[in-house]
Amino acid sequence: MSSIAKNKEIFRFAYFASILSLCLLGLTLLPRISIPLSLSYVCYLMAAPLLPFFTRIFHNRNVAIVFLLIVFTVVALIPLFYLLPSLRSEIERVQYYLPKLEGLIQSKFFEIKLLVQNKFAITIEDIYFQDTMAKIKSFSAKLLWNLPSFLANTLEWAFLVPLFLFFLMKDSTSFTRLLLKITPNSIFERFYHILHELNTKIGDYIFAKFVEASIVGGIITIGLLILGVRFWVLLGILAGITNVVPYIGPILGAIPALIIVYFDNGLGSSFGGVLMLYLIANIIDIAIVFPVMISKIVDLHPIVVVISVILGSQFFGFVGMIVSIPIAAAVKLIALEFYKKIYSPL
Amino acid sequence: MTYEKDRQNQNADAREKKIDLSLLKYFWQAGPLNFSKQDSIPRFLRKIKVLKNFSDGELFILSKYLNERNFRRGELIFQQGDVGIGFYLIFSGQVEISIDDNKFDIDENIAKGRYSLNLERYDFFGELALLQENAIRNATATAKDDCILFGIFKPDLDDLILQYPVVAARLLQSVSMIIANRLSFLTQEVRFLKSKLEDRESNK
Repeated sequence: MSSIAKNKEIFRFAYFASILSLCLLGLTLLPRISIPLSLSYVCYLMAAPLLPFFTRIFHNRNVAIVFLLIVFTVVALIPLFYLLPSLRSEIERVQYYLPKLEGLIQSKFFEIKLLVQNKFAITIEDIYFQDTMAKIKSFSAKLLWNLPSFLANTLEWAFLVPLFLFFLMKDSTSFTRLLLKITPNSIFERFYHILHELNTKIGDYIFAKFVEASIVGGIITIGLLILGVRFWVLLGILAGITNVVPYIGPILGAIPALIIVYFDNGLGSSFGGVLMLYLIANIIDIAIVFPVMISKIVDLHPIVVVISVILGSQFFGFVGMIVSIPIAAAVKLIALEFYKKIYSPL
Repeated sequence: MTYEKDRQNQNADAREKKIDLSLLKYFWQAGPLNFSKQDSIPRFLRKIKVLKNFSDGELFILSKYLNERNFRRGELIFQQGDVGIGFYLIFSGQVEISIDDNKFDIDENIAKGRYSLNLERYDFFGELALLQENAIRNATATAKDDCILFGIFKPDLDDLILQYPVVAARLLQSVSMIIANRLSFLTQEVRFLKSKLEDRESNK
């Protein structure tokens, strides 16, 4: 390669890298923009496969985009209108319920402590118990305190997400074109390939997880309603959200319901009923939903999945647990691409 | 009679009044304002032999899916052994395609060499990568001059299949035509070489 071409390529590379890193830096530093942007990106990935179909029906891409946007908004608003009143009353009831629950747990703990002391002559320290209780209390208090600001954020997002979604659907191809135009020649094909693979893989994963979570959440919400468990809406939504986290998620979703039922009715038939409900929902998930979606869910080794979930929770908490799998899949894809480059047989 | 005469006169009038579209089109295209469009992408695509089954509208759609890539003289376009995803058309400049046998791990007794050929405007290369999964480039492509290439890549083809299935089918038809021609040529070549080999063996 001649020196002029080489220099030009280096300049291109520097320009490209600096623009990419500036964008990433901006996204990490401005969560108020990056959160709605990523939300709308998730919506975009779900809507993108439908776009060509509706474009063919309406013979106009923009009309199809507006139609999809209206459908999305209506689909998002209907459950909000129906669920918000009951959700609010449930959250208000939780405020009064939590101290009661704490007292109950405390009395149970002391019972167990006495039992252990009498039978094995060992004293269980109170510190562990009080520590955990304090942590849980501060967590739930924070959740309730932050609710108003969360609702305000939701209002802001309700305006921003459709806006971003519209322009993502309308101009995503031109954004990609722009990005590809400044991609240096030496990495162009590889970069385009990775970009495309990431988009399709993460899009498929999000779509599959969304379907899975709504099926499991729906089954559990209806089941809890039939069983007459209180906070059925909250617990159903929680089960749907936690279901996104592999392996640990279903258990995390079941624990609060089991605790509530246990302290309301004890270890009776309703406790067994709720346990069965969660088991059945997860069996349906594993036996029916998962095999249908398996081709869409990224192929990662179970150990890799567990490790990435743990790492995600370590650094970013619950959100980290949810986003860890697509990120792990992305890292695997990029690593494989480099592997192909370095170890290619020719 | 008068009626028929009237009819004829009317027809003649109509013919005079009718706007001559082809003449207008000619003036429009020959106009100085339209100069830059003489070299537009669809026009360029029209002159490529393998795309002759495309209609003008389809070429216009295809042109929107092409990526323009500029290469400096001596710059590498792709290297033998790389994973490739794209098919390139040469808009301007010259491209050298070279194959280095030393890169293949074939029998050491067979003579190895380096072959190269030059491609020019309206030529194309890299079409196998569009069809293969994890295609490995069989040759190295280098820009001989400063050149402008139009590339169509696997992701573009995926989009095209979803958005404009007919155009995608046409493109795949063109690429398979290239490959079918090459395959039939190769079959003939193999047959010829086989017969030569048999001749030599029988002469021994």
